[in-house]
Amino acid sequence: MRGGDGIAKSGGALPESFQDLGPFAHWALSAEVERMAARENSTLEELQVFYDAMMRRLPAIVEYLNLFPLDRMPEEAQRLLQMALSLNEVSFAVERYRQPRVINGRERARFFPGQ
Amino acid sequence: MTTVIGNKRWAKKFPELGTAPVAAESCISPEFFELERERIFRRSWLCVGNVCVLPERGDYIVREVAICDAQILVMRGQDGVVRGFHNVCSHRGNTLAWDESGRCRGYMTCNFHSWGYDSTGQLKWVPDAENFFDLDKSKLGLTPVATEIFNGFIFINLDPRETLAEYLDGVTQRLTPEGFDQLRLQRSYRVNERANWKVALDAQNEGYHVSSQHRYLMPNLFVGTDEGCLRLEDVSFFNRHSVYTAELNAAYRPTPIEAAMFQIDQGPSRCRLPMRNVFEFYLLFPNFVMIFFRGPANDSCITHTFWPLAVDRTLWEIRFYGPDPQNAAERLSQDFMQVFNRVVFDEDATAHETVHAGLASRAKQHLILQDEEVAIRHFHKVVDEQVAIRNGA
Repeated sequence: MRGGDGIAKSGGALPESFQDLGPFAHWALSAEVERMAARENSTLEELQVFYDAMMRRLPAIVEYLNLFPLDRMPEEAQRLLQMALSLNEVSFAVERYRQPRVINGRERARFFPGQ
Repeated sequence: MTTVIGNKRWAKKFPELGTAPVAAESCISPEFFELERERIFRRSWLCVGNVCVLPERGDYIVREVAICDAQILVMRGQDGVVRGFHNVCSHRGNTLAWDESGRCRGYMTCNFHSWGYDSTGQLKWVPDAENFFDLDKSKLGLTPVATEIFNGFIFINLDPRETLAEYLDGVTQRLTPEGFDQLRLQRSYRVNERANWKVALDAQNEGYHVSSQHRYLMPNLFVGTDEGCLRLEDVSFFNRHSVYTAELNAAYRPTPIEAAMFQIDQGPSRCRLPMRNVFEFYLLFPNFVMIFFRGPANDSCITHTFWPLAVDRTLWEIRFYGPDPQNAAERLSQDFMQVFNRVVFDEDATAHETVHAGLASRAKQHLILQDEEVAIRHFHKVVDEQVAIRNGA
C-alpha cells in the first residue's frame, strides 16, 4: 500500500459529502491493472477495512455519482467512481477467497489488456 | 424451474455421440495440428471481431490468423461496407497496416515504396508509376478475403466452401438480431497459454467443473443436484456448432456486493438479446465462443477466441460487450460483472496449462467424459470429422 499516513499523495480531494472516505483516497486508481496491483499488494485486513467503509457508503456513492453524465464528471466525482471500481476489484478477495489473491490464479501476470 | 435434474440425459438425447472415452492424441499430435491447419482453419468461418469497433468510415483493425500464416485487414470503406483483405501490399508483399487498429484518412500507404490504397482496397497511388511495365492499378488492389457479418460479429474465411449463413446453420434462426446493435466492446484481455487450443476451449465448454474449480466464486449459482453439481437446462447442436443453457438457482444467496450491484442495475433497459434462459453458451466452430448473460436491465455478452499458435501454444482472446453505460450505476454494475468473470477465467486458465502438460506426458490416452461434458464430446467429434475430409465438402 502507498504511504503510511492514511491519505495518499496521489489521491486528491473527494466530494464534500464523502470526506469520511479520505483515508482511502489512494484507491482512486484509473486503470484496472493498477486496481489489481493495489489489491494484490494489500493485506486482507487492509482490504477488509476499505471494503467495509465503501460498502457502508455505496448507496450514497451511487446516488451522488448518478447526478453526473459519465463523460462530464467533475474530478472529485471521478475519484469517487474509481474508488467504487476498486471496491469491485477487492470484493471477491474479501467476500469469497478471504485472501488478497485469486486462489490458484495468476492475475496480472496472465491478463493483458487487448483489443 | 425447467431444468430436469437427472443423470445421463444428454446421452439419451444424442445417442449418435456415444459414451466412449475421447482420444487425447489430437491435443498433442503435431501431425494432427497440421491437418487442423489445412482442413479446419483454412476453410472455416473465423470470427475476428465486431463492427462496433469500426464505427466510422475508414476505421480498420488488423488480426493475426497465425495458424494460416495470414494477417487480415478488416476495414470499413468510404462506402460504409466492411471488407476483409490480406494485409499485404501488391507491390512486393510488404505488410501494409502496422497498427492493430486505426482510421484510414485518404490512403493506406505502404511504408516500403508508398503504394497507396483507398479504404475499399483499390490501388490508387504508385510513385514513379511511368517507370513500371504495363502497370494496371485497377488489377492490383488488396487481395480480398471472404468477409461476412452475423449480428455485428465479423467472420472471415480464407477458402469458403459455403456462405456464413449456411455455415452457421440453425444458429441463425435461434440468434435473431435484436439487441446486438447495442453491444459495444467494453474490455478485453489477451492470454498466452502453453496449451493446445482444444484443451483451452474444452475447459470452458462444460458445466461439470463449476462446483469444483469455481467452488469459492459461485457455489450453487446455477441449478444442480443436491450435491451441488451443475445440470444444464438444455443442450442443442446445429451442425458443427453447439449451445447450452443454464438456469439460476433460486436458493442462491448473493454476497453483499452482488446484491448491491444487482439492485443498482436498473437501466434504462435497451439491450435484450435473444435468450431463452439467463445463461447461454454458444460454440461457433471452430474457435469462437459467445456467452450471453441476462442482467436485471440489460443483457451482455462475453466472447472467447482461441487462436492456435502451435500444437501446444494458444492465444486466448476475451472480449466483454454490453450497452454503453448511461450512468455511474450502470458503469459500476458492468464493471463488477466483468471483474467477476475475469477472476472466473483466471481460475479456468490454471487448468488449461496443467491439463495440457498432463496430456503431453502421454500418461493418459483418453479424456473420460461424463454426461454434462457432452458438448466437449460433440466438439471433438466435429474436429475429427473435419480433419478426415480430404478435399472439403
